[in-house]
Amino acid sequence: MDITTENVATAVSNFSSVRGEGTLPNLLAFGRVLKQLGIKVSLSQVIDASRSLELVDIGEREDFRALLRSNLISQKEDFPVFDTVFDCFWREQSYERIPMETLEIQGTPTEMPAQEGGDEEGLEEAVSETIGKEDVPLENLEEFSVPTYSPQEQLNRKDFSEMGVEESRAIARAILLIATKIATQISRRKKRARKGNIVDLRWTMRNSMKYGGEIIDLVNRKRRIKKTKVVLLCDVSGSMDCYSRFLIQFMYGLQNELWGVETFVFSTSLSRITHLIRTKDITNALEKISGSILGWSGGTNIGRSLQTFNRDFAPSMVTHRTVVVIISDGWDRGDVSLLERQMQDLKRRAKKIIWLNPLLASDNYEPLCKGMQAALPYLDLFLSVHNVNSLVTLGRTLQKLVA
Amino acid sequence: MSEAKVNPTELTIEQVQEILRSERYICDRSLATVVYLSLVMGKPLLLEGEAGVGKTEIAKVLSKVLGAKLIRLQCYEGLDANTALYEWNYPKQMLRIKLEEVEHGDREAVETEIFTQNYLIKRPLLEAIQSDGATPPVLLIDEIDRADMEFEAFLLEVLSDFQITIPEIGTISARHRPYVFLTSNRTREIHDALKRRCLYHWIEYPTFEKEYEIITTKFPEVEAVMAQQICAFMQRVRQMNFYKRPGVAETLDWASALIALNRKGLDDKTVVETMGCVFKYREDLHHLKEQVEGKQLNLEALLRVSPELVS
Repeated sequence: MDITTENVATAVSNFSSVRGEGTLPNLLAFGRVLKQLGIKVSLSQVIDASRSLELVDIGEREDFRALLRSNLISQKEDFPVFDTVFDCFWREQSYERIPMETLEIQGTPTEMPAQEGGDEEGLEEAVSETIGKEDVPLENLEEFSVPTYSPQEQLNRKDFSEMGVEESRAIARAILLIATKIATQISRRKKRARKGNIVDLRWTMRNSMKYGGEIIDLVNRKRRIKKTKVVLLCDVSGSMDCYSRFLIQFMYGLQNELWGVETFVFSTSLSRITHLIRTKDITNALEKISGSILGWSGGTNIGRSLQTFNRDFAPSMVTHRTVVVIISDGWDRGDVSLLERQMQDLKRRAKKIIWLNPLLASDNYEPLCKGMQAALPYLDLFLSVHNVNSLVTLGRTLQKLVA
Repeated sequence: MSEAKVNPTELTIEQVQEILRSERYICDRSLATVVYLSLVMGKPLLLEGEAGVGKTEIAKVLSKVLGAKLIRLQCYEGLDANTALYEWNYPKQMLRIKLEEVEHGDREAVETEIFTQNYLIKRPLLEAIQSDGATPPVLLIDEIDRADMEFEAFLLEVLSDFQITIPEIGTISARHRPYVFLTSNRTREIHDALKRRCLYHWIEYPTFEKEYEIITTKFPEVEAVMAQQICAFMQRVRQMNFYKRPGVAETLDWASALIALNRKGLDDKTVVETMGCVFKYREDLHHLKEQVEGKQLNLEALLRVSPELVS
C-alpha cells in the first residue's frame, strides 16, 4: 500500500475513538494504526513496549520514538511509515487538528483491506493449485478437492506478454509466493549422509547395541554438502521487456529465501544486481535497477555480456556445483562466434546450464536465430518461461538439481 | 577484570552513551536508548546494518565495560544444535561404561550417571544460560542470517524463556539472564517469530561529524585535516554506485594505514595507492580506477570538506 500523509491521517482518525486517557490505550491504538497500514505488530510487542515505558523519560520525544520503534518495528523498510505515523499520532493535541475532509473518506480504508484480503486468498489458492499437484501439502488438501472457478486459473496459463496492469500485479504476487515455496522446499532438502569422514558417535553407539554394546563398526558422516549455487543471468533488452519484470520478481523470491543466489541482468553489457534486489520492497528495487542500468530495454549482445561474466565473475562464482540459468530469447546482435566461445567456457565451469526462452512456448517457434543455435549444444536444459505454470516447472527442475 | 564495573540495570541512557565512549565506541542517542532498553528489560537486541558499521563491536565493547564474559556464537550454514547448545561427551560415557563393566559395578547407577552434567559438553548457548559469574554474560550471536532456518527455531526457546531443554536431564533455566545481541547482514530475512522476541535497531552509516569523532577517538594522533578528508571521501563514496560500500571498519583501516605511512594529508596519488583499504572487491577498485583515469571522477573534489557534508 502506498503510504501518504493522508493515508496515515485517515488511519489515525479511524482509531481515535479507541484512544482513551493514559498511555496504554493510546499505545494499543498506535499498534492498531500500524497494523492497518500493513506493518506486522504483535500484541506481545505492544506489551513489551508498554513495559519499557517506565524506563525512559517519554517527555524526551526522540527517546520515546526510539523506544517504540525498537519494540514494534523489526525491519528497516518500515521505518519511514513508522516515523510518519509516529509524528501524526503523537502530536500534541492531535484530535482537534485532524481536518474535516479526512473524516469524510473514512469509508475507504476499511474497504481497501477487505478487498486486498480477498485477493490474497485467491492467489494462495492459485499457488497451491499450481504448485501442489504432486506433493500436496496437507493444509491445502481441502482447497484442492473442491474445483472452483477462479480467474487466477486462467492467469496461470496466460502469456505474460498479454497481461494488463491489474493482472500483472496479481501475478507478481503469485510468483513471489511460488518462488518462496520452492525455495523453502529446497533448503529443507539437505540431509546428512551417514557415510563420510567424521565419526558420528551418536550413531556409532546406537549401532553398537546390536553387538551388545561392543563397538565394531564406526558410523561416519559427511560434512553437509555445500548447497549448489544458482547464478541467474537475465536478458532485459527490448525484446524481452514484457517478460523480464516477472522473471526478476521470481529471482527475487528465490534469492531472498535461498543462500547463494547471484543475479545479473544484461542487454548490451552486464550488471550485477544481487545487492539491489536484496531488499524487501521489490517494486522500488526494480525502479532503482531500471534507472541505474544502461541499456535496459535496449539492444542485446549476449556474447559480450557472457564474456564479461566469464572474465570478472565466473572464476569466483561458478564452480562444479553451480547451476547457471540464462533467461533470454536469443535474439543477439553481437558476434555469434564470440557467444559460442563463451558458452563453451561457461559449460566447462558450471554444473548445469539452463536456458529459459519465453518464445519457446509458441507452437511455430524453432530456435532459428543464430545466437540461440550457437548456444544450443552447450545447454543441459532448454525450457520455456512464458506463464506461471512454466515458472512452476522451472522451480521443480531447479529443486531437483539443487537438492 | 571480572568484578562488575557498572550495574547495567541502574544505568541511564546518557551513561550508556558515556561508558561506550569510554571504550572508544561512539554511538548516537537512538542506539544508546535501544541498548539501554535491552539491558534493563533483558530483551535480546537484533542489530542490522550494512557490513562494517559496528554491529559486532558494540557487544564486544559492552562486555568489556560491564565486566561481563563475552560468549560468542558465530553462525554459519549448517550450524546445528550439537554445536550451538550442547553435546554429550560420548567418549567419556563409553569409557565409563567400559570401566564399570570391568569392575562389575551397578548398571543402573551408571546409566543415570552418564547422563548428568559431568558428561555434557557445553556449547555457547548452554554456557551462556548456565554462567554463574557475578555479572551475567554478554551473548553475541553473530551473523544469524548465515545460519539455517532450523537453527532459528532452536534459538526461540533460548531467547524467549532463557532455558534449554535436554531430554535426559530436564530443563535448565538461566540463573542470570544473559545480555543477548544478535547481528544480521540481511543476506536473508530473519523469521518473524524470532524478530518479535527482539528489540530491533538498524545502524546507519555514521554522519560526517560522527565519523570524524570515531576516527579522532580511535586515533588521537591523526591530523585533523586528514581525518576530515577521509570522512568527506567516505561520505561521498557511500552515495555512489559501488558493489560494496565501505563501512566504518574500512574508514578505520584506511586511517590506520595512512598513519602508518606517516601521511599528514591526502592527495590523488595517496588515495589511489591506498584504495585497497577502502574497496575490497576487484570490480569496485576497477570501477574507481576507470572513473579516475577517464576524468569522470575528480578525487580532489571528493576529498574537499564542504558545508553540505555537515548536517
